[in-house]
Amino acid sequence: NAAPALMPPSFDVMAGKGGKQSRTGSSRKSAAEQEEEEQPLQAVLVADSFNRRFFPVTKDQPRALLPLGNVAMIDYTLEFLTSTGVQETFVFCCWMASKIKDHLLKSKWCRPTSPNTVHIITSEMYRSLGDVLRDVDTKNLVRSDFVLVYGDVVSNIDVSQALQEHRHRRKTEKNISVMTMIFKESSPGHRSRCEEDNVIVANDGKSQRILHYQKTQGLKRLQFPMNIFHSGSDEFEIRHDLLDCHISICSPQVAELFTDNFDYQTRNDFVRGLLVNEEILGNQIHMHVTKDGYGVRVSNLFMYDAVSSDLVRRWVYPLTPEANFADLEGRSCTYSRHNVYRGCGVSLGLGSQMVENVLIGYDTSIGANCHISNSVIGNNCTIGDNVNLNHAYIWNNVHIASNVVISQSVVCDEAEVKEGVTLNKQCVLAYNVVIGPNVSLQEGTVVSMHHPEEEEEDDDDKFLSDDAEVCQSKDKTKQKGVPSEVGAEGQGYIWKASSLDDTEDEELPQCLWGLVLNPELESESEDSEPDGPDDPQIPSPEMDDDKVFQMEVLGTLQRGLEENIGCDNLVLEINSLKYAYNITLKEVMQILTRVVLEYPFQQQGPQLTASQYVGVLLPLLKKWSPVFKNYVKRAQDHLDCLSAFEEHFLEQESHWAAMVKVLMNMYQLEILEEEMILRWFSKGATTDKSRQLRKNQGVEEEYEYDLEETQVIM
Amino acid sequence: MELQAVLMAAGGGSRMTDLTFNNPKPMLPVGNKPLVWYPLNLLERVGFEEVIVITTKEVNKMMSTDPKIKDVKIKLDVVCIQEDGDMGTADALRHIHQKIKSDILVVSCDLITDVALHEVVDLFRAHNATVAMLMSKAHEFTEIVPGQKGKKKTAEQRDFVGVDQSSKRLLFMANEADLEDGLSIRKSIMRKHPRMHLKTGLVDAHLYCLKKAVVDFLTENKSISSIRGELVPYLVRKQFSKTTDSHKVKEDAEDQNQKKSDCSTNHEILISSRDEPLLQLSQERSCWNDHHGDMSEAYHGGKLRCYVHIMDQGLCFRANTIPAYMEANRLTPKLFEEPAVHPSAVISDRCQMGSDSIIGALSQVADKTSIKRSTIGNSTTIKEKVKVTNSIIMHGVTIEEGCNIQSSVICSNVVIGRGADLKHCLVGSGQQIDSDAERNNEVIVGTDQLMEI
Repeated sequence: NAAPALMPPSFDVMAGKGGKQSRTGSSRKSAAEQEEEEQPLQAVLVADSFNRRFFPVTKDQPRALLPLGNVAMIDYTLEFLTSTGVQETFVFCCWMASKIKDHLLKSKWCRPTSPNTVHIITSEMYRSLGDVLRDVDTKNLVRSDFVLVYGDVVSNIDVSQALQEHRHRRKTEKNISVMTMIFKESSPGHRSRCEEDNVIVANDGKSQRILHYQKTQGLKRLQFPMNIFHSGSDEFEIRHDLLDCHISICSPQVAELFTDNFDYQTRNDFVRGLLVNEEILGNQIHMHVTKDGYGVRVSNLFMYDAVSSDLVRRWVYPLTPEANFADLEGRSCTYSRHNVYRGCGVSLGLGSQMVENVLIGYDTSIGANCHISNSVIGNNCTIGDNVNLNHAYIWNNVHIASNVVISQSVVCDEAEVKEGVTLNKQCVLAYNVVIGPNVSLQEGTVVSMHHPEEEEEDDDDKFLSDDAEVCQSKDKTKQKGVPSEVGAEGQGYIWKASSLDDTEDEELPQCLWGLVLNPELESESEDSEPDGPDDPQIPSPEMDDDKVFQMEVLGTLQRGLEENIGCDNLVLEINSLKYAYNITLKEVMQILTRVVLEYPFQQQGPQLTASQYVGVLLPLLKKWSPVFKNYVKRAQDHLDCLSAFEEHFLEQESHWAAMVKVLMNMYQLEILEEEMILRWFSKGATTDKSRQLRKNQGVEEEYEYDLEETQVIM
Repeated sequence: MELQAVLMAAGGGSRMTDLTFNNPKPMLPVGNKPLVWYPLNLLERVGFEEVIVITTKEVNKMMSTDPKIKDVKIKLDVVCIQEDGDMGTADALRHIHQKIKSDILVVSCDLITDVALHEVVDLFRAHNATVAMLMSKAHEFTEIVPGQKGKKKTAEQRDFVGVDQSSKRLLFMANEADLEDGLSIRKSIMRKHPRMHLKTGLVDAHLYCLKKAVVDFLTENKSISSIRGELVPYLVRKQFSKTTDSHKVKEDAEDQNQKKSDCSTNHEILISSRDEPLLQLSQERSCWNDHHGDMSEAYHGGKLRCYVHIMDQGLCFRANTIPAYMEANRLTPKLFEEPAVHPSAVISDRCQMGSDSIIGALSQVADKTSIKRSTIGNSTTIKEKVKVTNSIIMHGVTIEEGCNIQSSVICSNVVIGRGADLKHCLVGSGQQIDSDAERNNEVIVGTDQLMEI
């Protein structure tokens, strides 16, 4: 069978073989497995971000080729893949594909000695990661598990362990797991965490299976559906300390799944879709968390700043500036303490200081009395005297005159900064721009040689149309070389100062630096908001059984009225409730009495007058008298009923007038026996108030009336 | 005194009414000792000299005569509460709040554990916690429950407990029943504790260290009646709400102390403003922090902190159901090294007795009997040719000749007739079993014990 060395150069033939190999598997399983082990590890590198976060810089150069520490970003990605054992890489390019191709053809990856065979596949048709993977599927490029990565990932993670775990899972669980995502452990607030990219992951504590995956941006509460906890495990983890490295190990099925689901555009779509449909499709996603590796995607300029700093501070070891891993001629540099790197031919004027974390490319000359810290300066730059650079990223062939101050800004190739210019934080000077002299660019200014409007015309070749609106809404009055803004001799258009106040979601791709999310501010506002339902005054425990029972009885009676249910059935229902809530007969009686007596208030509100109350209650009593009769049988029952009756009216002092009528009525309906009423009257009084209640004229009268009646009967 | 111990021994044992009908739960014999002896012993072992026991009059009377309890050296300060008062554990604390002068350690009477208690107390001390509690992996009871028909109910509601594994801080607590709309956690909590372990297979041992302030809080918040059901979930939730309060507390601390207004919002503050000034000073000056990532102060300024120690090894369970009770009888003799046969018991030489059985005082076991994996109580008579396997025989039981008793619980003063055969049965106290009766998987109790219908 095909050994890697014999692989024919044409994709189609090779892919055909690959397909055959994977299909012969079932008959000679062990052999096929062995083969799989021997298969060269493949990778899919997507050298396009499919967004325009780096616009307008990426108008002249694709993102994958932007220099980071004076080396193109794609070289970091390829070095990472090679060092982790990838032997065959498919680089998919779309935007400015020819430039990437040229770069790669010249690089060490395309030399015959390269351990990693790089195939470049270009198409203008790719509009998302989904398109790329669908193409992978159509062309049948991958034969076994492959590494999926973007062209702007900087990493030194060794994925071989994750790969092993992934393969093991696939072997034991019959290909259920289709993807292993690589995360790096890093606490919230860590510099290398991209605020826009924060995720919350819920996973099974033992199997590392991902159960829930969500971006947290803009969320205050994190919701987890309960079904994710029904997996039979008793240990789960909810993790917010993970940095998504945007490196994933995928099975060939991933490409197929993208084909099957043509609406999957991004990996996020894919992961969410798979997790939601887990039960239907039966595919699982797992994760691998690395503690000490480094893996970050340069997704905006903040990240560019953070990754550059980390690189200079040697966090990505062994990928360090002096290692010259891209093996470019004349790029070697020396490394001295305080992380200062100098290329060959660098000249430094008198009194200039390279304080710390500085990388200077070859043939760059720096004037006198400069102060440089935390900065990267490219090749062939000239820098004048008294220049102050902090967190400045100066690319190649840049001219900076004297007395310039640059802080946390990016200056692209061939740009010129004239004398006395100040670049405040988060400025970007795109290719060939000239600024100055003696201007100060406010925070967040972006200057490009391209007019902000002109992009509309050549827009269609790559970008989605929703950006067009944004462009139109932008200020069009900016003129080339408005002296007040780019300086008297300046050249370039000011792109909108990325004012963050009115950035909306659609505009998000426009801001190069990413959103400035102030975590402290956010969390404080979160804390001060009321906790909502989460925080009741006192947690309401299960209600008292009595209370619940009372509610239920009330509900039953109400329903009985509405649906005209017979009293027998009501009794049945109340009986079943009695058992459900374990209520004694005595309590049933009392609660029933209470419910009935309160019923008018319940229905009509508490402001009923006594006569209204009686008017409402009497018909009800008549209707429900069989229910009462069912419960009020023994002498004690009568007394219990009466005591509930008394209790009710003790609470409703204003309705004492009604009491007599109600009592009378109950007597007439033969709910209560006269003898018992008398007994209650003569004995029951225990408190002042109940004595008072009995003194109430009406009751006394009735008492007398009762007595008389008794006598009459006798 | 740093901690006052409080033992809750007034529970009725509502989950095993067949057993507790005549014998209150704290006095149920486990390994021939009353259940309440175990928490008392736990406290005694770690050096408590005094314990407040909240119990009923009935239990108190029985405790005062029980020889095992008499042996306990720890001083018992018994507080009796009404028997049918429906008092929750928090109500009980409120009841005795005048006795409470310091932070407290609350233990339930049905806890049987060999936990190193200092683990919990250390958490409480180290973090100046409001609550520190003990949990353990749920015990799997393999035993067939006497009288239970059909299979075990498997779909029990699970408790979700969220813990920050590194600091052991308790972050989240909810029952599955309350989570129908999905589990929801505030992002700010995840920000502060980015790695939350969510566990479902845990049981709460009902052992709590509580700050005195919590008891004060209880006395003013009368609506809370249960520690586990209401107080702890409330405190867990309160940990992360409104940290702005704590700033206000600093400013208003003096005001608050002077005019103690009665509105309920102040009660929370009472809990949270207990940080002694010295502690605060040390915290300010220390570089120690309980979290990584950001540079904010330790505990993110939160004053109310709940911690949990989760036992992953050792024995810890609550004897509050019949299977747990049976399991307890089987396991506890291994915990304490005592002679398997009480010196005063009379055992025939020709009796086969497994080493995993124990026999109580003044019992008599006749010839040709076989006793395996069983507990025999005090003053029990076992006649010839009786086989007892995997069972619990309480005190004063008489088993006539030729009986076969397997996986059963026989309560006190039962007489089992000649040749009876009991399998998976529960026999209530004082019952008579006829000769040659064959009973399988039944609960045999007096008619008065049946539930009132």
